[in-house]
Amino acid sequence: MSLLAVSNLTKHYRRGGKTVIAVDDVSFHIEPGETLALAGPSGSGKSTIARLVLRLIEPDAGAIEFEDNDFLALGGAALRARRARLQTVFQDPLAAFNPRATVAHVLDDPLRIHGIASRSERPHRIAALLERVGLAADLAPRAIHEISGGQRQRVAIARAIATKPSLIVLDEAVSALDVSVRGQILDLLLDLQRQERIAYLFISHDLGVVRAVSHRVILLDAGRIAESGDARAVIDAPQSAIGKALVAAAPRLKRTTQDAS
Amino acid sequence: MSALASIRDLTVTYRRDGNAVAALRNISLDIVAGERLAIIGESGSGKSTLALAIAGLLPASSAVAGRIEWSGLGRTPLLGRDIGFVFQDPSASLDPVMTIGKQIAEVARTHLGLTWSQAYAKAKTLLERVRLPDPDSALHAFPHQLSGGQKQRVAIAAAIAAGPKLLIADEATSALDTIVQAEIVALIRRLVAEDGMTLLFISHDIALAAELAERIAVFRHGQLVELGATAQIVDAPTQAYTRTLLDAHIGLDAAPLLNRAGLPA
Amino acid sequence: MSPLRRFLRTPEAVAGAILLAALIAMALIAPLLFPGDPQAIAGPALLPPFQDWSLPLGTDRLGRDVLAELFHGARTSLAVGLAAAAAALAIGAVVGTLAGFAGGLVDEVLMRITDAFQTVPSFLLALAFVSVVGPSLGIVVAAIALGTWTGPARVARAEVLSIRERDYVASARAIGMHPLEIAFREVLPNALPPVLAMSSVIVAAAILTEAALSFLGLGDPNRVTWGGMIAEGRAVLRTAPFLSIVPGIALVLTVLGVYLAGEGVVETTAVRRSLS
Ligand SMILES: Nc1ncnc2c1ncn2[C@@H]1O[C@H](COP(=O)(O)OP(=O)(O)O)[C@@H](O)[C@H]1O
Ligand SMILES: Nc1ncnc2c1ncn2[C@@H]1O[C@H](COP(=O)(O)OP(=O)(O)O)[C@@H](O)[C@H]1O
Ligand SMILES: [Mg+2]
Ligand SMILES: [Mg+2]
Repeated sequence: MSLLAVSNLTKHYRRGGKTVIAVDDVSFHIEPGETLALAGPSGSGKSTIARLVLRLIEPDAGAIEFEDNDFLALGGAALRARRARLQTVFQDPLAAFNPRATVAHVLDDPLRIHGIASRSERPHRIAALLERVGLAADLAPRAIHEISGGQRQRVAIARAIATKPSLIVLDEAVSALDVSVRGQILDLLLDLQRQERIAYLFISHDLGVVRAVSHRVILLDAGRIAESGDARAVIDAPQSAIGKALVAAAPRLKRTTQDAS
Repeated sequence: MSALASIRDLTVTYRRDGNAVAALRNISLDIVAGERLAIIGESGSGKSTLALAIAGLLPASSAVAGRIEWSGLGRTPLLGRDIGFVFQDPSASLDPVMTIGKQIAEVARTHLGLTWSQAYAKAKTLLERVRLPDPDSALHAFPHQLSGGQKQRVAIAAAIAAGPKLLIADEATSALDTIVQAEIVALIRRLVAEDGMTLLFISHDIALAAELAERIAVFRHGQLVELGATAQIVDAPTQAYTRTLLDAHIGLDAAPLLNRAGLPA
Repeated sequence: MSPLRRFLRTPEAVAGAILLAALIAMALIAPLLFPGDPQAIAGPALLPPFQDWSLPLGTDRLGRDVLAELFHGARTSLAVGLAAAAAALAIGAVVGTLAGFAGGLVDEVLMRITDAFQTVPSFLLALAFVSVVGPSLGIVVAAIALGTWTGPARVARAEVLSIRERDYVASARAIGMHPLEIAFREVLPNALPPVLAMSSVIVAAAILTEAALSFLGLGDPNRVTWGGMIAEGRAVLRTAPFLSIVPGIALVLTVLGVYLAGEGVVETTAVRRSLS
């Protein structure tokens, strides 16, 4: 069985009397330890799919199976408990944390809520989490707004892995980072995947990054799947119109010294 | 090759909560008339500060040392007439309660001394030039009725309305998706060529800058690290930092970071 | 410039702060300066002010020391004003947060209740409540809070509605936080500033309402209140007007002080927020 199986997912929005079909009959699956990328132009429904999978919004139609359970049937305490296994990292780590929070506080929440560690154990767990994502343990008492953007995204990842999830939804999680920081965060994500067999639903508009880190890719256009398959195969030879347009539009660095590769 | 502007020993310091932040340190560079010059660097490297200094838009909280000579212009430039400025967020430069036609016409009227009807005719031509679909009805539209890419086209139309010598685009495509970004870059390239404008293209994306610019200036921590022809910067950078930026770029031909061994078939 | 320095450069704010400080000082030293029962007879009845220096403001119809009554009245005014405002802000913040955060039916029901309370004039509501339940300090506080929590509730709800859409709330849901914890620990503290900005107006209104209730004889009978003093003096308004004028002036200065100082605080912190 797949880790996550999404079938015929559909989501409409009403906006000014008109209906926007944000996600239109989308089906896909993710295996344990796999990275599935969602790519497409802005407005193609990537974030809506992320929010549906996370049960932050409810679909108009379709089914979601997660870890062999009907994920849409869960509610209340059962849903909250299951959320430990399905985590997320947002694009803007500053917006994703309570503006008053400290690093320790945002890492304490998941440990406390899911009863992962007792109150006296938690400071050690927090230190271990910080170290796991490549941060110094003495960062814990700092306010979220005092640390750098790259550090914040590492804290967001630490928060996501605190509950030992099997799947993390990454919605443009590296898009706002400086290129040097982005490389380090991608390395961290891949290392976590290797060590803990975490699967990723990796959302990005950057096909270069998608191709470098994903096993498979789904190209979306106006809420529908335009094309899907092995990430390198699809991006190296796109068949759909949107795939061709996305590949053609990606900026290319023509380095004569490296063109041989 | 004559310089449109010569920047000499430019140092800009911001004051914030009693501390002084040096955003630019001893920058000297020439902007050659008619060239496409890209400024690249990571966030906080001082790119926007340079753009604002050139456009005369620095906030009052800043202290400036050094000078900018406009030898190619022969006068102190006026924003709007001599310099067109396109920001990252088009909503920030467009007035939400004024029609698009009026916003562009106002620039043309102020700087070219046109009547309102001449200015509106000019606005319509400009909307055609930036390839906005249906320019006639767009004249009467408000910014919120347009998509992000369309708003950026309008902002560009307003920026070039008075026929400026220098067009500054500060991360003008960074908020747009790849496809729209490529369209806007193509638009800027075409407009700059048609009008013989000089382009200062500011971006954090070295690949995008390399596609558009003839010369690239690399900034880091408020300092100019390296300046050279695009081919030289990309193929034979002299500075380690430039090489780091180039290596950090993940293109469509990059080697996969992923180790595929562990995955079940 | 620090908010405190900015506050100190605003003359109205400083004037308000001084008035407020004087009121608080009066309330605090009342039992030290006038240790006895302020309602006990202290001298001849209707002694005019500035005649006898042991009774500087004279006495009322029953021969009670007006100055002692004024000081003890400050205690009541301040206690009732602050307690009622705190209760109103607390009820309003909780109701507004629940309505805004839960949305749907909960929001609908809570806002209908808020509407109902708002359509009844708050003074009438307080009046009816005290008449039915009977006057005592706690009841007066409850009565005043009952009529004033709706404003803070609406402001809190509007703020919560916008905060609810932020990523960090989605992030709290995604880690499995209980909705009540999200509402009260994550959302409410960030929605509070505009609600607290209303406190000066609410405290001032609460002090006035308390005075009006006492004036109508619906205050706590075991306590001296300025409203009660004004009502007392009314019977002899022609012969001894000072009995009504003295507590009247105290009331006006207090309300003015609370309002000016509160506005000063809001202003200086608002400037700070818009700068950052
Ligand atoms: N809360 C909402 N209300 C109305 N329309 C929405 C809402 N969220 C998203 N949409 C619309 O749904 C479509 C898909 O949006 P989104 O999933 O955010 O796309 P992407 O993440 O690929 O840019 C867009 O047309 C968008 O305008
Ligand atoms: N208005 C301002 N006040 C204080 N500091 C500023 C201001 N604008 C920019 N800075 C600081 O100046 C430095 C350079 O910023 P900026 O020119 O915006 O860089 P870039 O555009 O390359 O991201 C940064 O450290 C930034 O925090
Ligand atoms: Mg999105
Ligand atoms: Mg910038």
